[in-house]
Amino acid sequence: MTPSRQETVAPSLLLETKLYLPRSPRGLVPRQRLCERLDRGAASKLMLVAAPAGFGKTTLLAEWSAGWLASAPAEQRSVAWLSLDRGDNHPGSFWTYLIAALRSAAPGVGASALALLQGPQPAPTETMLTTLLNDLGRIGNDVVLVLDDYHVIDAPEVQDGMAFLLDHLPPQLHLVLAGRADPALPMARLRARGELLETRAAELRFTPDEAVTYLNGVMGLNLTAADVAALEGRTEGWIAALQLAALSMQGRDDVAGFIAGFSGDARYVVDYLVEEVLQRQPADVQHFLLHTSVLDRLSAALCDAVTEQDGAKAMLEALDRGNLFLVPLDDRRRWYRYHHLFADVLRVRLLDQHPDLVPSLHRRASDWYEQHGERAVAIDHALAAEDFERAADLVELAAPATRRDRQDATLRRWLEALPDSHIRVRPVLSNDYAGTLLVRGEVEGVEARLRDAERWLDAVSGDGRGSCPRPPEMVVVDEEQFRALPTAVAIHRAGQALILGDRTATVTHARRALDLAGADNDNHLGRAAAAALIGLASWGTGDLDAARAGYAESLVSMERAGHIADVQGLALALADIQIVQGRLGEAMRTYRQALRLAEEQDGPVLRGTADMYVGMAALHREHDDLPAATELLARSQELGEHLGLPQNPYRWRVVMARVRQAEGDLAGAVELLDDAARVYVGDFSPNVRPVPAMRARLWVEQGRLGDAFGWLHGQGLSVEDDLSYLREFEHVTLARALLAQYRTDRVVRSGQQALELLERLLAAAEDGGRTGSVIEILVLRSLALQARGDVADAVGPLERALALAEPEGYVRIFTDEGPPLATLLAAAGQRGIVPGYVRRLLATFGETPARPSRSATLVEQLSDRELDVLRLLAGDLDGPHIARELVLSLNTVRTHTKNIYAKLGVNSRRTAVRRARELDLLRTRR
Amino acid sequence: MNDPHPSSDSWHQAGRYEIRLEGHLDNRWAAWFDGLTLTHLSDGTTVVHGPVVDQAALHGLLQKVRDLGLPLISVAQVEPDLPVQSR
Repeated sequence: MTPSRQETVAPSLLLETKLYLPRSPRGLVPRQRLCERLDRGAASKLMLVAAPAGFGKTTLLAEWSAGWLASAPAEQRSVAWLSLDRGDNHPGSFWTYLIAALRSAAPGVGASALALLQGPQPAPTETMLTTLLNDLGRIGNDVVLVLDDYHVIDAPEVQDGMAFLLDHLPPQLHLVLAGRADPALPMARLRARGELLETRAAELRFTPDEAVTYLNGVMGLNLTAADVAALEGRTEGWIAALQLAALSMQGRDDVAGFIAGFSGDARYVVDYLVEEVLQRQPADVQHFLLHTSVLDRLSAALCDAVTEQDGAKAMLEALDRGNLFLVPLDDRRRWYRYHHLFADVLRVRLLDQHPDLVPSLHRRASDWYEQHGERAVAIDHALAAEDFERAADLVELAAPATRRDRQDATLRRWLEALPDSHIRVRPVLSNDYAGTLLVRGEVEGVEARLRDAERWLDAVSGDGRGSCPRPPEMVVVDEEQFRALPTAVAIHRAGQALILGDRTATVTHARRALDLAGADNDNHLGRAAAAALIGLASWGTGDLDAARAGYAESLVSMERAGHIADVQGLALALADIQIVQGRLGEAMRTYRQALRLAEEQDGPVLRGTADMYVGMAALHREHDDLPAATELLARSQELGEHLGLPQNPYRWRVVMARVRQAEGDLAGAVELLDDAARVYVGDFSPNVRPVPAMRARLWVEQGRLGDAFGWLHGQGLSVEDDLSYLREFEHVTLARALLAQYRTDRVVRSGQQALELLERLLAAAEDGGRTGSVIEILVLRSLALQARGDVADAVGPLERALALAEPEGYVRIFTDEGPPLATLLAAAGQRGIVPGYVRRLLATFGETPARPSRSATLVEQLSDRELDVLRLLAGDLDGPHIARELVLSLNTVRTHTKNIYAKLGVNSRRTAVRRARELDLLRTRR
Repeated sequence: MNDPHPSSDSWHQAGRYEIRLEGHLDNRWAAWFDGLTLTHLSDGTTVVHGPVVDQAALHGLLQKVRDLGLPLISVAQVEPDLPVQSR
């Protein structure tokens, strides 16, 4: 079996038996009353079947499902069934199986959700579930989803996801949870709203009539009414107990004696009855039952291996026929399991009678599973056998695949189950252990594990380069991993330093990893990880050249390793850095190449594609090609959020907001940024352009200076701060706010502060090689000088900005500043500064580039009060709020507004604001 | 701080517990219950008692009770060295 590309989406370790819809077993008491109850309940959101083991939950649901399916045409109804086990108590496994179950009932749903679960960066559960719910909302038929044995689930992450799913359940989907305990879901709320149908032990237990039907009808026991009443009383209607009792009585002469003995005994019912049943079986059956009780699933081949006999096939068939609590797990009767209650009692007996046998039974099971390619089960049995040597060997061999399938939680569970002494002598496992901790952002314990791994590496390499004989106590089973271990340890050292915030150490370790990986031509992944860590850490220190080089190298190695999905994430980071450095053309090439690589892949569209479109849209926006930007954003949206990295939802909104802003729709832009802040997801990359700072810039543009300064002060930003790359964007925002304040109230200090801050920011940006920032700061400096009246001085910085910007085709960095900059550009043009570029830029200011003389064309000048009102109209306050702000009556504001419209020759607020902007009436007082 | 409760850090502390179940559970179940002692009382109940390392272990025991389908009557933390009371 070579897994095809499609199959890798659904992990090969998926057990089909868990998705098997059980058939109604033979010898059944029809449960008409309960089926009718469930039929009625299918209208409610959730059906809960909660009762102890042995109350016939699974049997009832199997019977009801069959009837429910049969009572409507096949294309209208389907049932998705999932039998959970303890291994499903973490999100990765749980959701993968749940989606697989749904896909068996509604083919095609959940493909995107599965891709999200298995992508390079697992998406937040809610994002994954939202795409799943979208798919489910589109299916045309009713689907019942049964989650059997739901009591094994207690992981909070899974429970939260289930609560979310339940909250957003489309009407076609009916959820049934069956288990021995109530689920941790808002039951009271569902109950109060009538959205919950509960079927509990009181309903499930056999009524006296059902007991008669079962004992006398189905089992043909001919018991008297008093006998039935005695059994019913002793078992309290517990179905499993009644079944065991019936099995004990079949073919027995002294039924009355049995009932008397049973009724008079205080022993645990099941214990008592299993004893009775077992005693009536031949010795070989008893042995078989006891020895195979260690297995969670039984097949003939597996049972033969564990019992070291043959004949399991015939035995299983006989047990199945004899109703000895064997539950078939597929239609071909290849796999079975024992009824849980029966299995527990058998295991206790085995442990009591043959404690010495238990480890060898588990070891044989472990061998069998290992030979049949199910390493994970083999490990669990080896651990149960307490054969830690074997378990550790298997874990070491299984680790790479487990990591690749993002099953770090499983790897961690195994490592935690192994005694420390077995891990510490294994350098590969010691390093793996550190990895499972780092993946979760934990550093505690990492140091000791890495030291163990390094100690062995030192022992092998000796002092010099010559290799020493291996210490006999060191254990290595996977030579390939051991060869790459020096690199892997150095990468973990770098990761550890990164989490601890030590960027210098991160770079040092990552460089060492890179050197080590360099010696090994095939270790592309090691090189890619090390180079990316260098990129990441250098980015955080502001060493952008090193960051760019790191990401570029990582990208190449990742491509060689064939991990194209990871290439997308790296391209995104690389382009971000290139943009700060003012290399717009390079950034565009980075996006295009990553996109091309993704498109060359067969199979489903790769995750990250949506992010490339968003990045390209931002660049088109800078080149003032708004239609192209809008189109790329639409394309990204069409692909859907599941084809974006976790950051894409917020990045998309940010770029869309920038497009809206360029179109003059400031309120729309603010709204999008509010949304972006809500869906913001961080990653390890430094958050150098915080969404709230972008929003504060828009507030400045809207004239909401109070809001902007409120936010700036709340962030503790001041003109005296030491400057760093990480807060550059926020400090430029502060400079913008100060400049706007100076323009409105002419307070000299604000203007001075803005100029001084910009001068310092300029020096810092030039030092850091951040050409993109340098251009923006130069533009702001010339605007500040202009506002102060030094028009001649103002042209100087602008000239420098133009020289830097022209080769990369910047446009909006100028146009976004509005009419005042148009004035300055015109002045620059008159002086013969890059005339062609300046002409092109001026053309982008619209049909009517603002000229300083423009306001003179107004028939009638606006009064000071009208200008105040006009400025507020440019914001998003409504009439009553404007009135309150200016301490005027609403009527007065209306009168002013009417006069403003008349003087500007417009008839709406929107056109008034646009006209006011053209006339530069919003920024300066006359 | 003066805490009126027997142990303020009872999440992390080992303690002795008594779990009362309906029905007589054979002594062979002792291993199943991590080596705790099973005592049959004359009222037809069983007391599973002994040291439990922490709350997680206690919940593990209760899950085992649940999985047997045995009616649970009571769970109590008890002072060390007190014999199970006969009722």
